[in-house]
Amino acid sequence: MSASDKKQDPTLPAHRHLPPWQAALFSLVVPGSGQFVVGRRQRGVGLLLALIILSVLILWQGATALFAAVAIIWAWNIWDAWQLAGDHAMRLEVPVLLAAFVVYGVGIAATEIRPARFISGWPSVQPYLTALTQPELMEHPTKDIVGQVPIQIPCITPLPQPSKPASQNPKVTVNTRCAKVGDTITVTGDGFFPNFNGEMIWVNPIGDEQHVLENGRPMKFTTDAHGHFQVKIAVPLAVPVTSLPKPGETQTHLIRAEQHKPYGPLQPTRTLRLVLNKIGETIALAFIATILGMIFALPVSFLAARNLMGGNAVTRAIYYTVRTILNIVRSIETLMWAIVFAVWVGLGPFDGTLALFFHTIAALGKLYSEAIENIDPGPIEALRATGANGAQVVIYAVLPQFMPAFASFTLYRWDINLRMSTVIGLVSDAGIGFLIIQWIRLNRFNAMATAILAIVLGVAILDYVSAWLRHRIIVGNPTNAGRTLRSYVVTGVLIIGFIAAFIWSWNVAEINLVTFVEGAPAGVRMIRDFMTPDMFTRPTKKEAVDAVLPVPCGSGVGTPSAVSGSRVNLSLSCGNVGDKLTVIGHDLPPNTHVSVRWVFADGSYLRVKKDCCTTDSSGHLRLETKIHPLMAVNPKAGRAKPGKVEITWKEVIGPPHLSKAFNMVVNLSLVTLLMALIATTLGSAFAIPLSFFAARNIMGESVLGRTTYATFRTIFNLWRSVEPMILALVCAAWVGVGPFAGVMALAINNVPNLGKLFSETIEDIDNGPVEALMATGANKMQTLVFAIVPQLVPRFLAFILYQWDINIRMSTVIGYVGGGGIGQQFRLWVGLNQYADAGMAVWAIVAMVWSMDYISARSREKLV
Amino acid sequence: MLRVEHLTKVFPDGTVALKDVSFEVADGEFLAVIGLSGSGKSTLLRCINRLIDPTEGRVLWNDVDVTAAKGQELRHIRRQIGMIFQQFNLVKRSSVFTNVLSGRLGYASPWLSLVHQFTEEERQMALAALERVGIADKANNRADQLSGGQQQRVGIARALMQEPQLMLADEPVASLDPVLAHSILRYLEQLNREDGITVLCSLHFLDLVHRYATRVIGLKDGQLVFDGLPTELTAKKFKEVYGQEAEIVTVDGSGSGLMDHGE
Ligand SMILES: Nc1ncnc2c1ncn2[C@@H]1O[C@H](COP(=O)(O)OP(=O)(O)O)[C@@H](O)[C@H]1O
Ligand SMILES: [Mg+2]
Repeated sequence: MSASDKKQDPTLPAHRHLPPWQAALFSLVVPGSGQFVVGRRQRGVGLLLALIILSVLILWQGATALFAAVAIIWAWNIWDAWQLAGDHAMRLEVPVLLAAFVVYGVGIAATEIRPARFISGWPSVQPYLTALTQPELMEHPTKDIVGQVPIQIPCITPLPQPSKPASQNPKVTVNTRCAKVGDTITVTGDGFFPNFNGEMIWVNPIGDEQHVLENGRPMKFTTDAHGHFQVKIAVPLAVPVTSLPKPGETQTHLIRAEQHKPYGPLQPTRTLRLVLNKIGETIALAFIATILGMIFALPVSFLAARNLMGGNAVTRAIYYTVRTILNIVRSIETLMWAIVFAVWVGLGPFDGTLALFFHTIAALGKLYSEAIENIDPGPIEALRATGANGAQVVIYAVLPQFMPAFASFTLYRWDINLRMSTVIGLVSDAGIGFLIIQWIRLNRFNAMATAILAIVLGVAILDYVSAWLRHRIIVGNPTNAGRTLRSYVVTGVLIIGFIAAFIWSWNVAEINLVTFVEGAPAGVRMIRDFMTPDMFTRPTKKEAVDAVLPVPCGSGVGTPSAVSGSRVNLSLSCGNVGDKLTVIGHDLPPNTHVSVRWVFADGSYLRVKKDCCTTDSSGHLRLETKIHPLMAVNPKAGRAKPGKVEITWKEVIGPPHLSKAFNMVVNLSLVTLLMALIATTLGSAFAIPLSFFAARNIMGESVLGRTTYATFRTIFNLWRSVEPMILALVCAAWVGVGPFAGVMALAINNVPNLGKLFSETIEDIDNGPVEALMATGANKMQTLVFAIVPQLVPRFLAFILYQWDINIRMSTVIGYVGGGGIGQQFRLWVGLNQYADAGMAVWAIVAMVWSMDYISARSREKLV
Repeated sequence: MLRVEHLTKVFPDGTVALKDVSFEVADGEFLAVIGLSGSGKSTLLRCINRLIDPTEGRVLWNDVDVTAAKGQELRHIRRQIGMIFQQFNLVKRSSVFTNVLSGRLGYASPWLSLVHQFTEEERQMALAALERVGIADKANNRADQLSGGQQQRVGIARALMQEPQLMLADEPVASLDPVLAHSILRYLEQLNREDGITVLCSLHFLDLVHRYATRVIGLKDGQLVFDGLPTELTAKKFKEVYGQEAEIVTVDGSGSGLMDHGE
């Protein structure tokens, strides 16, 4: 119990004798004040804050009906004050539930959840799902024979020559040169594969192809032993009604006969080969980023380890700086870095690698530094005491303690990088994600499905490999004992494989330091803009004064314009192209940035000088230049309007206020938080019941139990390997672009992730209390409620918080692919080069992620 | 009265934990069960309240066949038999009070209890049970905030809520300090003497057996190898049960009891 807790003790004599009606009256006027005066300060402040926050949320979304809930909480608060004054503490279920109701109500409104869209959007998502059962894997290569003949529709006299030729070999003929829609015509072909079938294609004048139908199905023809065939077909209506020929005109169509004869063994489709190639690239990016990230993170982690840097003020300052930078870099998602680095080095594998690498340094730097902080000084001291030297101490006391954590964190990061690498292509041309988003744009769903299935399989296999490696590195071979020839061979093969993989990955990642250096100015400029977000704007009015400058002299007259005394004087009243000209501004606003420009006869304009100019303290401006060639007007054109020289500036007309971008960022940040909240809730709601099926101890040892367990575990693992970003693509097709799609994608991804964690928790529960309660004669339900649920609730909550944390990070980027939230706007701003606005989004994300990190770390501490 | 007849337990992995064990316990006895670790003590106690289903043989409790009971009937038998455990088996995150109340679940309304609704009478009873073991002031603490000895007392209070006629205690003091061991066993002794509750308790220290038990049975490799009064349990007999390497150690380590190396 801390001192502050004691202050809230309701039995403190000073507050004890407040009559209940007085406390209630306090709370009626200001919610929470009654609680406050009877000594329950935290409760009082909490109530007041909660009511304010809830009201703001409701007003923000305009969901005024929810004020009913706020009113009930208010009423409850009065009643509570009354009870507290009588030394009766009420339970908090009612207000907590009502507050949750309001938050979710607002959340549903803000994230635009519309369950009806599941149904209305079904037709558009169905092709995605069917495609998943039909990936493009293998095919026979084919030899193709294609012949065609033109036909004109309708018949006119005289009939012109067809606009497209017939093929010579093979030869296709038709029994008439022209026909009308619905006529039956006879098509013959020669020079085709003998005794083999083929299909008839009708090509309309625009080039659209369609199958010739027979009883509603594509027509097939079969050739005889000489490669000859003859079919009768009905002339289809092949052009849209709006494009039919005018009366007296005709159009040339083509009748095409095609044979595709497979030969040789099955071979992978082009799609599959592309996919495998890009999967390779995906793995390479993850690999090189992890290795390089690891190498760079090591020295960084020393600087970020408290026990190493605690020495003096300077090292401590370094420690804090490094920690802060690591935290900032870490809270910005890899995909966001990919967008940033795309500006720096351009789209491509290098961009993806840099993003992964950068985020990896920060994440591993932090994890390593914590591992260093956790090193037990005991063994070090003990070795020193034996007289070991520094290197010996490192080898025998430091490394053995650091290595397991180091290896496990690095592998963990590799798992994450692999998953990230599958989606980095959604924003850059790097890895498999790039193919997915391209194919979705082209409606090539089967190809997309091939890529997604490849990810699922690839990630699952590599997970398995890394689990094996982890076991080998961390559990295996603690001592020199057990080092057999075989283990040396395995280690040798691993090392050679590793080097080969590194060289290959380096090449695939297209790492190019020249691009990096060349792009640096653009990148640095962007980062500088990021650092100076424009939170405030001042309302301004644009002012302009000008002077007429006929070129050449006598080519016209115009009227200059002036604003409240400001004017422009020119050293020449007229002149020729190239003449020296001095522009002098009088009585302009002092010390103001103005722009001086040529206004040409056609109204277009051009700055006289880049980055010009600022007036002096008396509002004067002087600028030397030469008359611009475009100022010349053709004197023969008669009453031409002459060009002008104009000075413009912005006049501030009001106090500074929060910029529009700032308001958007605040708005979208709230949406993002709520997206994450709702997704986590939905994900947990489904994951909790499912997790019991994936818990070994619950499913038991029967055949049915073991199969159920294995099935659920496998499904969870495969399902988990599809990143929310990819799910968001599909969800956006289903329910439309927006936060709803993002919520759905996150929730769908959370189910297997949480399901896995939950089922492991269930497997970990202490069976003792269960046994003890069974022994008292409690029934199964009672045992569940009294012995199992109390063990699960806090651990589940901890995982749910952890997932919410991840979801907030994810929802900052899920908008790139149609998932709504702040990510969508960030990408837009970067695309428009509005880096200052994008920077504000970045800071908002950093703030959100930090506060969430803090909150969830604190709550988890309490829970577990 | 408890009768164990030809009890045999073979685990699915083939381990024979009990081999044809038979004995009787009269009402009001304090029976100590001794034996090496792995000799089948826990299995025996768990077969009595059917936390483990025996492979063969019967357990008769007041002439009711426990081994044949199912569902409701089994639960009614179980609620007459209290049990305390070496690891206390409390729900660590629940309050002491809830842990004690949960001992009453076999009597409580099956549905209301699911939402933690207990009668005033049951609450009073729980308070009384806590008072009896001397930790009423800890009622609202979380169970894991208590020391080991206190946790075991909560375990006893929970068992008391069942108003048991028989108390099974599986090495109740093996995780406790010597002083605490005595205090816990004194509670059991009190229940045995004052309330007439029959006690079956597995123990490891000869001095504790001599001090508290009215009768002893010894198990070795799942077989009953000793059944008699504590005074009949001489050092020679003790070595028969515990094996020749066993050495005499007391609960407080001073050297007049016996303890096996395995522990
Ligand atoms: N669930 C089980 N499955 C397989 N063997 C078990 C199981 N529980 C106990 N055993 C085995 O049964 C034997 C007796 O165990 P136990 O009754 O726990 O002994 P004690 O309580 O005397 O130490 C031991 O060999 C033990 O390994
Ligand atoms: Mg045991």
